[in-house]
Amino acid sequence: MRKLLTCFIALWAVSVIAQNKQLLYGWEDVPQSLLLNPGSKVLQKAHYGVPFLSQIHFNGGSSGVSAFDIFGISSVDINTRIRNKIFELKNTDFFTATEQLEYISFGWRSREDVYYSGGVYQELDFITYFPRDLAILAWEGNRDYIDYEFDLGEISATGDLLTVYHFGANKAVSKKLTVGIRAKLYSSIISFRSTNNQGTFVTTLGDGDVNIYEHTVQNANVSLNTSGYASLRELDGANEVANTLLKRALLTRNLGVGLDFGVTYDFTSNITASASFLDVGFVFHNNDVESYEAKGSYTLNGIELIFPPLADGETTLPYYDNLTDEIEEAIPVDTLNNSYSQFRPVKFNAGLKYSFGRPTDGRDDCDCRGRNESIARNQAVGLQYYSIFRPKGPQMAGTVFYYRRLFSFLSAKATYTFDPYSISNVGLGIASDIGKVNFYIALDNLLRLENIAKAKSISLQLGFNIKIDQE
Amino acid sequence: MKKNLTYPVIFCLFVILFSACVKDTDFDQANDIMPTPVVELDLIYFNLEASDFFDTDTSTPILTVRDTTDLRFLNDGISDNLIRAEFFFKFTNSIPREFNVLFEFLGDTNDTTYVTQTLVNEGTTQIPTITEFIHNVEGESLERLTQASKVVVSVTIPSSNANLEGDLNLQSKTTYFLEF
Repeated sequence: MRKLLTCFIALWAVSVIAQNKQLLYGWEDVPQSLLLNPGSKVLQKAHYGVPFLSQIHFNGGSSGVSAFDIFGISSVDINTRIRNKIFELKNTDFFTATEQLEYISFGWRSREDVYYSGGVYQELDFITYFPRDLAILAWEGNRDYIDYEFDLGEISATGDLLTVYHFGANKAVSKKLTVGIRAKLYSSIISFRSTNNQGTFVTTLGDGDVNIYEHTVQNANVSLNTSGYASLRELDGANEVANTLLKRALLTRNLGVGLDFGVTYDFTSNITASASFLDVGFVFHNNDVESYEAKGSYTLNGIELIFPPLADGETTLPYYDNLTDEIEEAIPVDTLNNSYSQFRPVKFNAGLKYSFGRPTDGRDDCDCRGRNESIARNQAVGLQYYSIFRPKGPQMAGTVFYYRRLFSFLSAKATYTFDPYSISNVGLGIASDIGKVNFYIALDNLLRLENIAKAKSISLQLGFNIKIDQE
Repeated sequence: MKKNLTYPVIFCLFVILFSACVKDTDFDQANDIMPTPVVELDLIYFNLEASDFFDTDTSTPILTVRDTTDLRFLNDGISDNLIRAEFFFKFTNSIPREFNVLFEFLGDTNDTTYVTQTLVNEGTTQIPTITEFIHNVEGESLERLTQASKVVVSVTIPSSNANLEGDLNLQSKTTYFLEF
């Protein structure tokens, strides 16, 4: 248990919040911004991502605790600190880790002025809510919690490792409006999901007729769906598991489909709004599926001895076996192989941008004909909103950003983001175009870099592309 | 000239990235993490009637009744993590006799690993007597207890007859002090 706990804490210490790429969203200098809004404005004529290097994204965090809270040097015993944190955290607090690695990425503008783009990336997405009651039960036991109903429904976790094939189209349908759509094919490598659980466990004082306590599991309905896991159990060692997962990297039989769509609209020559929905889709798990389900109610009173009269050599009743049989009958744990489908976590992005400064596209600084057409300028400020739909409801983040094109080949974007992790998340990214090589790097939580252990989340994205500009 | 600035800027960002550090922390403290839950669980219970101590067929007293149950979790589930166990037995006796109750813990090969016993005060059908017995097990005794996988409960009455009335009731729980 100690090792498990250490791994768990270490995971969020080194991993970096989930899926919010506030630095890349709306940053048209980076081709990968198309993945965040298929309806984003596209400045280039074509782009080709450097295989395996066009987008590397790590992101992780926890909403209520940092590694420093637990492992910081302190005069307070670490067990006391953990106990205090367990009570401080809420059952809506969560731990999350996301990673994306783009295998290939490409895009080109057609003669019809449609920008087609596509690619393949691998994604890891893990979230678990903090099962506060179960943590209290595990850490403290039940002695001091007589009559307290421990909520089994707090168990809520999902994890997915999948490969995504995507292809999209983007077009400026008018001078003011750009729209885009992207189709996705999901290939699930491994997946698990335990959500919508329910039930309670409570220890109450008996009424005096039977035994001292009554330990009751009431209306338990706990399930865990897995796909791509059962076959791994048969394998021998980590190497075989790694090899099998690698073989699944291209295509598996657990497939799904999804859509991204987005829009960008210029209200005036300075003010632009945008929005996108990502991963509106689901994955069908019908191969290598194993699900576990426990349902029922049971009250344990201990073992009743009835002192039966026995002849010599005769054995008494199998009380213990009867008890375990009774429990298994009351709350059977079924292993099922039924297919199931799983919705992808839908993300919603929106942005409002005010551009100012000198024009950067060679046009006059004048909306002389009053058409309200956008003029690209070297500076912009704006607001962004992000939400992702999670098992216990949406998680949201708000961002204020400042964009500046420093030179013709270099732009930078700074963000201030407030989300469930923190209210002091400052991020910075730069994108450069040197010749045809486009490079970008974006990093969150800069204020915490001095001591990452104090950060509740960190996010890093970087990548290389070959970008061919419009003539 | 302008392009010469690219590398310094990228360099600066990398410097920020790689100068990021984890400090004022001591991950060796992980070795000190030690959950110590205290779990209370019902153990055994029974209700013996005075007539259980007299064989009406042969008109002879039965001075000792005995029953056995497995408690396999003792040597199979929690033995590595148990640092103390505290048994609590509550007897309610309305039989006008004192009882001797013996708990023998046996291993898988029926070898006795641990024994404890208590006396139960006599009561009356009008005023049942409550006798509470708390038994703490730790250290070397705990090692022997956690080698057990079953318990034999023997209830001995000093004398009995066909007219004896009343009940002997036991309720019990164990408090397990665990350390992981």
